[in-house]
Amino acid sequence: MPAIFHDPENATHAAADETGRMRRGFSRCWAVVILSLSLTSAMWAAPKLKLATSGTGFAIAGAAPAYTASFGTMNALAFGTPATNVTATALSNGALYFTTLNVSVQSIGGGNTGVVKAYVSTNFVGNAASAMIVYGCASPSACTSAGQFSALGTSSAGETTLASGLVSGSSSADVGLAIFLPDNNGATAFTGLSALGCTVTFDLFLNGGGASSDTVTLALLNETVQSAVQLTVGSAVGGLTIGDSGGPLVDPFSMNFGNVNALGIGPAAGLTTVAQAGGIIYSSPYNLLPVFSDMSQTSATVKACVSATFTHSTVLTLEDSATGSIGSFSNISTNCGVATSLTSSAGDRSTVARYLGLFISNVNGATAFTGLDTATLTYTLTVP
Amino acid sequence: MKRITLAVFASLLTTASTTFAATQAANTNTVAPTLNVTATIQKAVSLTLATGTTGGISHCAVVASAGPSDYTMNFGTVDALGINAGNCNKFNPVTPGTTNAVYWTDYQITPVFTSHTATSGTTVTAQVTTDFVAPHNILIVRDTANSSTVPAGAASFSAMGTGAADNIGGAAVASGTALTRFIGVAVTPANGATVLQGAQTATVTFTLTVQ
Repeated sequence: MPAIFHDPENATHAAADETGRMRRGFSRCWAVVILSLSLTSAMWAAPKLKLATSGTGFAIAGAAPAYTASFGTMNALAFGTPATNVTATALSNGALYFTTLNVSVQSIGGGNTGVVKAYVSTNFVGNAASAMIVYGCASPSACTSAGQFSALGTSSAGETTLASGLVSGSSSADVGLAIFLPDNNGATAFTGLSALGCTVTFDLFLNGGGASSDTVTLALLNETVQSAVQLTVGSAVGGLTIGDSGGPLVDPFSMNFGNVNALGIGPAAGLTTVAQAGGIIYSSPYNLLPVFSDMSQTSATVKACVSATFTHSTVLTLEDSATGSIGSFSNISTNCGVATSLTSSAGDRSTVARYLGLFISNVNGATAFTGLDTATLTYTLTVP
Repeated sequence: MKRITLAVFASLLTTASTTFAATQAANTNTVAPTLNVTATIQKAVSLTLATGTTGGISHCAVVASAGPSDYTMNFGTVDALGINAGNCNKFNPVTPGTTNAVYWTDYQITPVFTSHTATSGTTVTAQVTTDFVAPHNILIVRDTANSSTVPAGAASFSAMGTGAADNIGGAAVASGTALTRFIGVAVTPANGATVLQGAQTATVTFTLTVQ
């Protein structure tokens, strides 16, 4: 085979078999050239960043460079059922709705390492921006608990790294994305639909620096925030233990005064006796904890009524006091239409400390009663 | 058709139950959890002593005690001739050397009872459960009349029972109503090697029974 395909010397004296070899050589040369061109094309393709639904994450729609998804309907108490593959967890100052998504890189090139960073490039509009804050969770964290998430920056300068160490042989990772709904009452309260939502921009950086090699966006559309209210009854230090029906948020709650008598002899632990004409009051401190979010008002009312009186209501009555001192108790209304006001200035997550009094009449005779009796109190939290 | 109607109704009930959670709610401004309050009432009795308040006489103090007795009362220094004044009142012997001197006071005893369905047979009794030791030249006495009337003399007193309790409450014992009664020590004029001298103590047990 000539060193140069168009060798003029060999071209004029070519034998038949030489011509055949030359034809085979011609074919091999083209194959080498085509293969070379193909390899060159692959090596120089621009790196690509893609988003996709992870195995346990919410649905990602669209294609690079623009994707969409939605966390659906949310509230700052994590109350109710969240959207599919979204987990809601209540926090001490709001709720976090979180999920995962898959980020992958292509054409990253041998020897290069991909780093994916993200930030909120277009935030929620108006009060929705204070009602919903986008959080992220970096791989390889499992992104299954609130503590693994942190707020994403709202500018490219404050991007948060969500995945790193992506190479051609391991080019994808599941990362976490969340919306944190803080308790948000008063002037900045927001409820309703944020149709346009916000946009999170994902940037791919090769080897952790330089300019972004590729950028895709994820628009979080149609996010809905609902107001929410919560009221729980709990034990106070030095008072009776208040039980629940399967968890701190499951009522009816329960308070057992145990054995009592109209002389106040031997009050159980957690109880004190308070003198009262006609009998005695057994008193226990307890706490009410109102929680509310995305309300235009920052204070609420808490009322109580005896929704089911004791069977022997002439002997046993329930009373309320702010201090537990003698003379401070008053009957709790047995008409829930005109319930007894405990406070009209209850703040969000601000404990309302009260005393529940059980008055026992010292009556003897036919109307006297001994034995077990039960009543039910209904507490109503209303945020105007 | 009836089955369909019932199915729809059941579904609505389920939805309502889910929507109106008792401690939490969304898309609303009110929530109303409940608290069940339970108590077991027991009947109770109380019997307390206090210093008397009868006018015109002196009173030996009834002192609440942390010792083996609930209360204490001290008649002071006494003698069979009524020479010592004692701490409260005294009746000198009618016949010195033959009859007793009585040192006495009023006191109040208050029965209280609650949640009793039957009270008509309620009694208050008193009994000397630990007597002065032999030869008993000093003994506990009470007003024979079991009333609030001030005794007129030593003859108004009789020895308090030691083997059985004396009913001191009368016919109608009311809860919360203090009873005024009189108690004292009678000092006999006995002599001999074994007569008691110095500080002596006896114990009276008062009992309230509601029935």
